[in-house]
Amino acid sequence: MTPKPKTPIARPGAHPASGRAPALLLRGIDKSFDGHRALQGASFRLGWGEVHALVGENGAGKSTIMNVATAVYAADAGEVIVDGRDVPLRGPADAMAAGLGMVHQHFRLVGSFTVAENVALALRGAGNNVTLPEAARLLSDRADELGFRLDAGARIDELSIAERQRAEILKVLLLGAGILILDEPTAVLTAEEARALLTLVRALAREGHAVVLITHKLREVAAYSDRITVMRQGRTVLDAAPSEGLDMGEVARLAVGEMPPTPPRVTARPGAPLLRIAGLSARRADGSPALDGLALDLAEGEVLGIAGVGGNGQSELVDLLSGLRRPDAGTIRLGPHDLVGASPARRRAEGLRVIPADRFDSAMAPGLTLAENLALTGVSSGRFGSRWLLDRARMRREAERLIAANEGRGGGPGTKAALLSGGNAQKLLLAREVSSDARLLVAHSPSRGLDLRATQAVHQAIADGVARGMACLLISEDLEEIMSLSSRVCAINNGRLSAPMPVAEVTPERLGALLVGHA
Amino acid sequence: MLEGALLIRRQRVPLGLWGATYAAGLVFGLALAALILVRLGVPAPALWQEFVVQTFLTSQGLGQTVTAMIPLVLVGLGTALAMRVQFWNIGIEGQLWLGAMAATWVSLHDIGPAALRLPLMLALSMLAGAFWIALPLALKLLWGVSEVISTLLLGSIAFFWVQHQLFGAWRDTATGFPTSPTLDAVERLPLLGWGQVHAGLWLALGAVALAALVIGVTRLGFYARAVGENRRAARAAGLPVLLIVCSFVLGAGALCGLAGAVIVTGTEFRLSQSIGAGYLFSGIVIAYLARSNPLAVLVVSFLLGGLYTAGGVLKVFYGISEAMVLLVQGVVLLSVLAAQLFADFRVETRRAA
Repeated sequence: MTPKPKTPIARPGAHPASGRAPALLLRGIDKSFDGHRALQGASFRLGWGEVHALVGENGAGKSTIMNVATAVYAADAGEVIVDGRDVPLRGPADAMAAGLGMVHQHFRLVGSFTVAENVALALRGAGNNVTLPEAARLLSDRADELGFRLDAGARIDELSIAERQRAEILKVLLLGAGILILDEPTAVLTAEEARALLTLVRALAREGHAVVLITHKLREVAAYSDRITVMRQGRTVLDAAPSEGLDMGEVARLAVGEMPPTPPRVTARPGAPLLRIAGLSARRADGSPALDGLALDLAEGEVLGIAGVGGNGQSELVDLLSGLRRPDAGTIRLGPHDLVGASPARRRAEGLRVIPADRFDSAMAPGLTLAENLALTGVSSGRFGSRWLLDRARMRREAERLIAANEGRGGGPGTKAALLSGGNAQKLLLAREVSSDARLLVAHSPSRGLDLRATQAVHQAIADGVARGMACLLISEDLEEIMSLSSRVCAINNGRLSAPMPVAEVTPERLGALLVGHA
Repeated sequence: MLEGALLIRRQRVPLGLWGATYAAGLVFGLALAALILVRLGVPAPALWQEFVVQTFLTSQGLGQTVTAMIPLVLVGLGTALAMRVQFWNIGIEGQLWLGAMAATWVSLHDIGPAALRLPLMLALSMLAGAFWIALPLALKLLWGVSEVISTLLLGSIAFFWVQHQLFGAWRDTATGFPTSPTLDAVERLPLLGWGQVHAGLWLALGAVALAALVIGVTRLGFYARAVGENRRAARAAGLPVLLIVCSFVLGAGALCGLAGAVIVTGTEFRLSQSIGAGYLFSGIVIAYLARSNPLAVLVVSFLLGGLYTAGGVLKVFYGISEAMVLLVQGVVLLSVLAAQLFADFRVETRRAA
């Protein structure tokens, strides 16, 4: 039994920036998961007062090495030295007591608690028996010092994602973290929110904190970082400062292994009208309107981008189109047919294909093999056996063909889909959905969470389908994705859709105004 | 010094390891059970004799074990099939009672020609079981009522119904006991000439073979797996989800109903209040241990049948109380279940430097 750590409350200047051992030093770290070598002699060096970007593709080992640093994982080999002290960390609580705080992609906050209650919970858990008013005061004082406002009495599930993130960061700081590790912090934020976060991070570094930004959006964080470490396939391949004249193209090359192919160009040749949605309305479970009289038109060979902050009706729209739920009102006409009452099977037969935001929510089953997942939509057509019997050999051959065509790594036909990296799984899902008989593809955030190379493969697959005359409804929070693929763009806000505008006329200002509903 | 241990989930479980953990759990549980029984005064040499020799190695003992296994296979399969489509058929007992009642009803009223009496009893028991599971299925599909609760409660209702019949219209007037009159010879499953083993064995084996075939090689079986693994994805892919769920769940109820009829027509030859004893939770235990695999259901049921047989011997010949027999059986099952931890996870110990 170790003594309960007495949690210090971090104050500005608690960690002088110079003349000290590095804040965090990781050397020769090996870590395997069941034979898969996630880290191979990886290293990482973090100085006090430094913002350090940790960059690499999915599966490069970024999160793994930071989970080793915070003792979530035990390394197979190597040393972890925090602030010059080689103290063994036996678990996340030890790491926290040593001043290492990690803000995970999925926040560790209790949704039904207020911000102050969450902070009090965490502090008490660390042996610091604060009262609720004390926690609230600590919170607002610390927020003031950092120059933002956060309502300590607000319930977490009433806050926006960006506010929750700030609450989590404050919580970790109040727990005494001198070293702050943020895992993909900008992935869930809008461009505006991301800038605010990175400004906050710089302020923390000025106070003397050491900050790690785990990210694959290199461009976004480079300007805010003092140093950049690049990881690739479990090894550290670069540790350098942008101020030393670092070539960002070189960094990207190191991260990916070679220059990624140029992004696809979609040449829109809108043909005959295909999809016409009118007056589409639906309510959420709590009765609030999710979609409110939504209308749009889409022609063959055209990509219509729907930009918007998540939770404005996008998921409901996707479910209505795939047939997983029924609208309260409205029509969905695909060619001559109204699909509102049609089953998902009927819609698929009409050439409707869907890539949902979370592929394991409604597209693939994590517990089924790749061969099974890839055959899921084709069995009913008789492609994989008769009406009664299943032809597993044919399923296997088809899976092998698709995996080979997509340069699939990390799995064969018999591999469970859950074991595949996000990029590989998404590529295979696209291969399944964007088949030759696909007439309309509804793609919801198709590249979310994917690295550059996988993103481009996904975009290429969409572009190829569109070149064949397929129409695509692209729903995304990633404006870059919307702009690079769409021929027309509209914004969704609070269940309403703005009038579409040609992509050439879209400016960030115009779109931004539409997204927050001021236009 | 051991400082602590980490559990690391295995990405996939090798088949050999899976078997080894089962065996190890079984051995550990039996050793623990032996310890308890020796403390209770059963001589140690007799344990080997009763648990191994008399239950598995002699023809007579093996016959008893196989007889006990037959209904276990059917209820285990009934739970496993429902589990495949994420329907937790906890209250199999209700379907078992309904099946037993349906068979008894046919017998009491001498329905149909004598030659068709037995097939009619079995068929009607399957219908009755399917009907009894259709209620919680409808509740779940229409209003999202949890089947864990509704199947259990319907189990109690079915039992009260049985009591109502046995203390009322169906009471055996010859004895006055609350049991139905004994079945006529044509209403009994024929014996196979090996102890008490009856033709229900063929029904059980046939059900296993059919279930294994459906799950392994048919389109329906594949669809059921997809529904079980991700129902929303199955719906979005255009699979007939409702049809798949209904056919598997109703099939499960039918098998449990058949189990009731097999007990009545194969071993008891009358309906009594005690024929369902011991089956309440055996379905879920078997299905879980077998991971919903029909062939594994057969193996697990066989071992569990042995455990029941040995338990009966302990009660009769060594005066061990019913509670202690349940305790011993529980210890063995719990050991086997707990041993699964070592198949699903790798244990990594850490030592202080």
